[in-house]
Amino acid sequence: MKNKIKVERAIKGVTQEELAQAVAVSRQTIIAMEANKYVPSTVLALKVARFFDKKVEELFILEDTD
Amino acid sequence: MIKNLLLPNRYKWLGWCLLLPGLIAGIIITATDYEANWLSMRMFSIANQDLLGFARYFTFTKVNFTGTLAGILILVGGMLVAFSREKQEDEFIDRLRLSSLMWAVVVNYVLLLLALLFVYGMSFFHVMVYNMFTVLLIFIARFNYLLYKNNKTAPDEK
Repeated sequence: MKNKIKVERAIKGVTQEELAQAVAVSRQTIIAMEANKYVPSTVLALKVARFFDKKVEELFILEDTD
Repeated sequence: MIKNLLLPNRYKWLGWCLLLPGLIAGIIITATDYEANWLSMRMFSIANQDLLGFARYFTFTKVNFTGTLAGILILVGGMLVAFSREKQEDEFIDRLRLSSLMWAVVVNYVLLLLALLFVYGMSFFHVMVYNMFTVLLIFIARFNYLLYKNNKTAPDEK
């Protein structure tokens, strides 16, 4: 699964730390998600999407390997 | 969301304060066979078999508590360190913790298997003594390494 968190974060101009605080996780979790090393839970995916005012499908994209 | 059963973060420091002295004492004790005289005492024992094979159950025995004390420090300290929350515990940290635990169990038993094959006699007895603590210690090392590594992969970027 890919995601556009990094891009959306750049557009909105927020740091990893600010995003982390907004969705109540550690900065490490944001780092791992942006590096595609961690697939977030549905709850976290929904929270991140809400923070960016996007639909989950716009932020997280399935890949062929999934 | 259901949280894992973990202690509050402040117990982590307490854990380190017990674990480190315990480890240092443990290394000194195994290297020198040191026994503190003031730790000789009578202790209740569930089972106590002497070297000749004579076993007694549910008795009081005179023991030296030095090694036991070091072991208790390592176990209690190690458990506190291993099972206290991180400052910010979340689902990703949770997953790191679980995968580290599995990694530690696998590595521990692979090492034990090798020791079982290649270590004999009293040396194997020492292996068993170390093996009492290795799952915990390998887990703590692995988990903290993963936390450190993950924190380093992306320095403070915008």
